[in-house]
Amino acid sequence: MKLLNCPMNGVRPLSEFLFGGEFREMPNPDTSGDLEWASYVHYRNNAPCIKKEWWYHSPSGTWFIAERNTLSDEVLATYLYGKAPVAAKTTKPRAKKEQSA
Amino acid sequence: MTALIKTTPVAYAQHEQKQTMGVHNGMEVALSFEGAAKEKAHKQVLGVTDVGCFAKFGIKGPKAAEWLAQQGLKTPDEINSWVEGAPGTLVLRLGGSEFLVEDQFKGNACAGLTSFNQANTAGAYQVARADAAFILSGSQALNLLSELCVMDLRDKALASEAVVMTQVAGISATFLRESLAGEQVYRVWCDVSYGPYMWEMLLEVAQELGGGAVGLTARFQ
Repeated sequence: MKLLNCPMNGVRPLSEFLFGGEFREMPNPDTSGDLEWASYVHYRNNAPCIKKEWWYHSPSGTWFIAERNTLSDEVLATYLYGKAPVAAKTTKPRAKKEQSA
Repeated sequence: MTALIKTTPVAYAQHEQKQTMGVHNGMEVALSFEGAAKEKAHKQVLGVTDVGCFAKFGIKGPKAAEWLAQQGLKTPDEINSWVEGAPGTLVLRLGGSEFLVEDQFKGNACAGLTSFNQANTAGAYQVARADAAFILSGSQALNLLSELCVMDLRDKALASEAVVMTQVAGISATFLRESLAGEQVYRVWCDVSYGPYMWEMLLEVAQELGGGAVGLTARFQ
């Protein structure tokens, strides 16, 4: 079972969580140019890397940030928005079994 | 003028059972199902009781704890924990600044909280609560929970004052254990719209394990 660490409720099965999309800093709409704003609204970086993401713990209604390596699917830290990150207590994804020929 | 009598949300799942209904706290609930002797036996093995009729009061906001203290209620210091805020009344801390107050069978603190006036109370906001609520008891209760919940809810893993928000039977639920007349019982709350489903799931597993439904009268005799 894959687990995720909710910063309010502790380690729970992934089935209790919903993915809320990548967390991205919004540029100031009053000062940003059209190019910067259009980039924020329309562009996504799909390259594998460590990303900040919104996650939602549905039984408690808790939204939080998870820093996740989208290549290895390892969660490095989870924390409430605006709070300092703490080390995640998540399981590392199991290594895939090598396919036999 | 006739007072409005509400019906327990799980009544929709009880239509095939031969329960005796009665009114407690302004809500029609099942007082007994199969007779005192059988229900007493169920309590000891695995008894499921609908206690959706217990009065509830929800409040949240940075001044919520302060307002509850002004009403004479103790509040838990820790997030996700509970205390007996007044005799016969539970106070659950559901987050940094959200509380659920629930009168038990003989508690009456919630009646005093209806004086809450939003216009005069800055920093605290009433939250309408109409959860379906259940009591589980008996020697097989943990076996039932292990079938319906992935959390480790054994005594060693679940602190006596802990409130757990997790999924039971696939739906979001709030959970704790408490002592009721010297007996350890488990409390489950879920959204009212899932009440009939939760009742059916709890009862189905309870019956498989040798237990069954316990009415309000048998539970608090």
